[in-house]
Amino acid sequence: MKKGEIVFSGVCVAFFGFMLFETLDLLGKGRAGEMGSGLWPFLALSVAAVLSLLLLIASVKKRDAAAPESTAEAIAEKKRQRTTVTLSIVCFLAYILVTPWIGFILATLLYVLAFALSLGERRRWVLALSPFLVTAVIMGVFAKFITIPFPKGIGIFADFSRLFY
Amino acid sequence: MIDHYLQAFATVLLPQNLLAMVLGSLWGLLAGALPGISTSMGVVLLLSFTYSLSPMTAFVLLIGAYLGGITGGSITSILFGIPGEPSSVPTVIEGHAIAKQGRPAYALWVYLLCSIFGGTFSVVVMMVATPLISSFALKFGPPEYFALTVLGLSVVSGLSGGSMLKGFISCFFGLFLATIGTDGITGEERFTFETTTLLGGINFVVAMVGLLAVSEVFIEAEEPFKEYKGGVQYRGMLSEFPPLSLFKKYLLTMIRSPIIGTIVGALPGAGATIAAFLSYGEAARTAKHEPEKFGKGAVEGLMAAECANNASTGGSMTILLSLGLPGSNTTAMMIAAFMIHGMQPGPLLLSSRPDIVYGIFVSMLLTNLLLLGLTILAIRMFLELNRMPYSIFSAAIMILCVIGAYGLNNNMDDVMLMFAFSLIGYAMRKFDIPVAPCILALVLGDLAELSLRRALLLSGGSPLGLLNSPISVILLAGALFSIVYPMFKKPKMLQGL
Repeated sequence: MKKGEIVFSGVCVAFFGFMLFETLDLLGKGRAGEMGSGLWPFLALSVAAVLSLLLLIASVKKRDAAAPESTAEAIAEKKRQRTTVTLSIVCFLAYILVTPWIGFILATLLYVLAFALSLGERRRWVLALSPFLVTAVIMGVFAKFITIPFPKGIGIFADFSRLFY
Repeated sequence: MIDHYLQAFATVLLPQNLLAMVLGSLWGLLAGALPGISTSMGVVLLLSFTYSLSPMTAFVLLIGAYLGGITGGSITSILFGIPGEPSSVPTVIEGHAIAKQGRPAYALWVYLLCSIFGGTFSVVVMMVATPLISSFALKFGPPEYFALTVLGLSVVSGLSGGSMLKGFISCFFGLFLATIGTDGITGEERFTFETTTLLGGINFVVAMVGLLAVSEVFIEAEEPFKEYKGGVQYRGMLSEFPPLSLFKKYLLTMIRSPIIGTIVGALPGAGATIAAFLSYGEAARTAKHEPEKFGKGAVEGLMAAECANNASTGGSMTILLSLGLPGSNTTAMMIAAFMIHGMQPGPLLLSSRPDIVYGIFVSMLLTNLLLLGLTILAIRMFLELNRMPYSIFSAAIMILCVIGAYGLNNNMDDVMLMFAFSLIGYAMRKFDIPVAPCILALVLGDLAELSLRRALLLSGGSPLGLLNSPISVILLAGALFSIVYPMFKKPKMLQGL
C-alpha cells in the first residue's frame, strides 16, 4: 500500500499541477476591476497542489518504515479482492456503454446476471430469477409509472424495447 | 390569530385532506428513500395531480411529499449507505456506520426521533417567529453569504477523520470541481475541454451518487458478503429504542441543531443539505463525548444532521410564505403550486389568504407527527429489502444509481460522469481520503465564489468590504476559530508528516 500511496499522491500532484497550468489562461479573463474567472480556481488548485505535494513527501518518508510481511494467504486474498472489484467495475462500465445500443431493458437484464456472477453468486435459482424480477420492478416503477424515457437501443433492439416501453 | 388556527385545524382535519396528507407523505418517503427520485422531483411529479384539487388539499398533499421526502432520504442512507437525498450525506457517514456495527434499528430510531423533533421544532418556530426570521434573512447580502460558506467549509477539520491534510486535499478538490462549467458572472468556460457535457458544470447529484453510492458498492465487493449481511440485520425495532438518557447526554446538540436548521433553511438557496452539513460540522467540532467516533458511527453526528435537515423545512417555508423566496429546490417547486391555484407567495399572502398560510402551518405540524408512524412502516418495508441476496441487491443499487444520474437530464453523459466519480471515490476511499469534505466543498463552492465576487464588486474590489457587517465578522471569526483551534489542540495537525 505504501507504493500505492506514493503513486496516488503523485497522481494528485500531477492532476492539480496540470489543472493549475490550465487556469493560467483564465487568469486574465473578466472585466477590469473585477475578480475574474480564474482567480478562485487558481487559489483552490494552488492550495490543493501544495497539499498534495506535502502528502507525497509524507508518503515517501513513510516508505522507509518497516511494513509487516504479507503471508501467502493474504496475498491470495488480496488478489481475489482485486479480481472481484475489477470485474464489477468492468461489468458496470459495459452496462453504461452498451445501454444506448441494445436498450435499457436488455442491458439491465444482462447486467444483473453479469454483476451477480462477478460478485461470486452461483446459486442457479438466484441467477435464473433475479434478473427478470429486478428488471420487471425497475421497468414498472421507472419506465411505466414515472415514465423516464430510457434508451431504447438501435435496430432490432429498439423494436424489442418498444414492446415494453 | 387563534381563530385562524382553529379554522385551519378544522380544514386540515377534513377526511379528504387527511387522505392527501397520508398519500403525500407515503409518496414523499418513497421518493426520498429512492436514489433515483429526489424530494423536489417527488413534489414536481405530484403537481400535475393538484390541478383538480382544492388549494388546501393540494398544499396538504405537496407538504406531505416535501416533509416525507426529507425524512425518507435517510432510510436507505442508514440501511444501505445510499443517500436518498443530498442532505442525507452526513447520515450515510454516521448512520450507516452504526448500522454496519450491527445496530441498524438503533440508528433508525435515533434518526426518526431527531427528524420528527427537528421538523416539529421548526414548524413551531415558524408559527411563532415568522416575521423575525424573515427580517433576519433579508439582512444577508453577498458578504454574509461568503462568510457563511467559509464557516461551512471550515468544518472540514471535523470531517477529516484521521488526517486533516487529506481532509483539506479533498475539500480543495471539491472547490475545484465546483468551478467546472460556465462561469456564472463572465460566461467564460472553465475546465470544460471543449465538451458540452461539462458546460453546465458538474451536477451535485451525479458527483454524489458516484463518489458515495457506487464507490461504496465497489468497496463492499472486496469484502466477503457474509460479513456485510451479518452487519446490517434487523433485531426488532422496540428492543433498540434509544433511552432518554441518550438525548439528555446530547442535549446541546438537540437544541443547537434544529436552530441551525431553521435559520439556514430560511436563507434563500441554502436548504436542507447545507443545514445538515453545518449542523453536523458543528457537532463534530464541539463534540465532548467520543469525538473520535465522528466518521465511524457517531450518534451525535447522526442526531445533529437529522435534526437540522428536517428543521430546514420550516425555515424554507417561512421565507417562501413571507417573502416569496425559495429557501430550497423543493420550495421553488412550491411556487409553481401557488401559481397553479392563482396565488403569489409573498408578504401579501398572509393578508389575502390567511386560510392557506395557517393551513400550511397546521398541515406541516400534523404531517410531522404523522410521519412518526408512517416512517416506521416504511422502515419495515426497506428492511425487508435486506433479505435479498447481496449480489442481486448491489446490482439493483447500481441500476438505481444509473437511473438517478440518467434521470436528471435523460442523458447518458451524466451516467458516464457518475462512473468517473465512482472510480475517483473508490480511489479516495482506498487511500483514506475522506469523501465528505469534497462533497461539502462541491455544494458550497459555487455559492462561496459567487458571493465573494459579488461582495468584491459591491465594495469596489476592496476585501475589507467582506467585513462591513457584524454578521459576516462573527461568521468569519467563527470560521477562523474552527480552523485554528484544532492546530493548537493537536500540534501534529498534518498527520503523516
